[in-house]
Amino acid sequence: MTSKALISLLQAYGDDELVLGHRHSEWTGFAPHIEEDVAFSSIAQDEIGHATNYFLLLAQLTDDDPDRLALGRDASDYKHAVICERPNGDWAYTLARHWLYDIADDIRLDTLEGSADSTLAQLATKMRREERYHLIHADMWMKRVAHGPVEGRSRLEAGLSSAFAEATGLFEPIELEGEAVDEGWLPTPSSEMKSTFIERAGETLDALGLSTEVRANLDESAEFVASSSGDLIASQEGGGARPARSSGLGGRSGEHTADFDQLWAEMTKTYREHPGATW
Amino acid sequence: MDVYEVFKRSGHKDPFSHAGSVMAPDPEMALIMAKECFLRRREGEHLWVTRRSDIHSFSDESLLEIAADKSYRFPEAYRDVVVKREKARARANAIVAERDAS
Repeated sequence: MTSKALISLLQAYGDDELVLGHRHSEWTGFAPHIEEDVAFSSIAQDEIGHATNYFLLLAQLTDDDPDRLALGRDASDYKHAVICERPNGDWAYTLARHWLYDIADDIRLDTLEGSADSTLAQLATKMRREERYHLIHADMWMKRVAHGPVEGRSRLEAGLSSAFAEATGLFEPIELEGEAVDEGWLPTPSSEMKSTFIERAGETLDALGLSTEVRANLDESAEFVASSSGDLIASQEGGGARPARSSGLGGRSGEHTADFDQLWAEMTKTYREHPGATW
Repeated sequence: MDVYEVFKRSGHKDPFSHAGSVMAPDPEMALIMAKECFLRRREGEHLWVTRRSDIHSFSDESLLEIAADKSYRFPEAYRDVVVKREKARARANAIVAERDAS
């Protein structure tokens, strides 16, 4: 009988990769220049490849169909972090999110390399090798835009502020996290990983001279508005190009935003029209 | 942004050969872009990138024409020497043989 906590872990992390990979792939044909279009499309494919790994393992453990797992669930059954479903916005937001996500993923994979499930541990090692390249790519871009012309740098600051606000949602505890840690599937709890993440991202932001601007943006532009659930959420900035500066929480229990409704409808359309089809 | 010419090699004993070009702001980016564009399906195992402006060539290609007969630079032009040497050796051996007989 497979542990429910392990199932929860595989699904949450698989969903992160699938949803973010889908967003990354929306840049194909539209990236700043053609070589970057190929590079970023490759990165999108890698993320979906990682999602495939998670879902194949999950399918094995639950005797299910990996396609149904990936594409056949209702929107509220997806357990990815909210940041993954946000629209791409401008290249600066995309870069900021790519950079933050890949740091978070590296921290997560590091701990999964010590998972009690040996298949998952081996998978984590393999995925981490690809992630190393994603980090190099993100770091290179961050450095150049941060030290480049004013417009690029200020867009990056704004993108980082939006993304950083929600990135910590990647470390919202998964469902059954207590058991996942106790049973050894997740050697390091999310709260600890979150601290490592904030420290690591903060260090680079300091080194690039971006941290004060990012923090200033975080404080000054967030207008807090009560949502229907009673939580305080940040209101949408004008134009909708930038996502709302919310806490980024809720994803791990299936609470998503209107952004995910649109993404889910598109991503799962073909599967839902022909469930179980072979191609 | 500069144009960088990309060279790749298929195996580590092969010579680098020209694969194409990428545009990039600096060598580090050029390497990453070249890896993505030319190695994503494992077409090679190593890469060089160099700015096109660092590649030099003859602007006046007429300098590369072979103006006159340069057959003296090719081994084939000296084949008759082998024949002549054989004849000379045979003549020398005959003279020695004749001297020894008398």
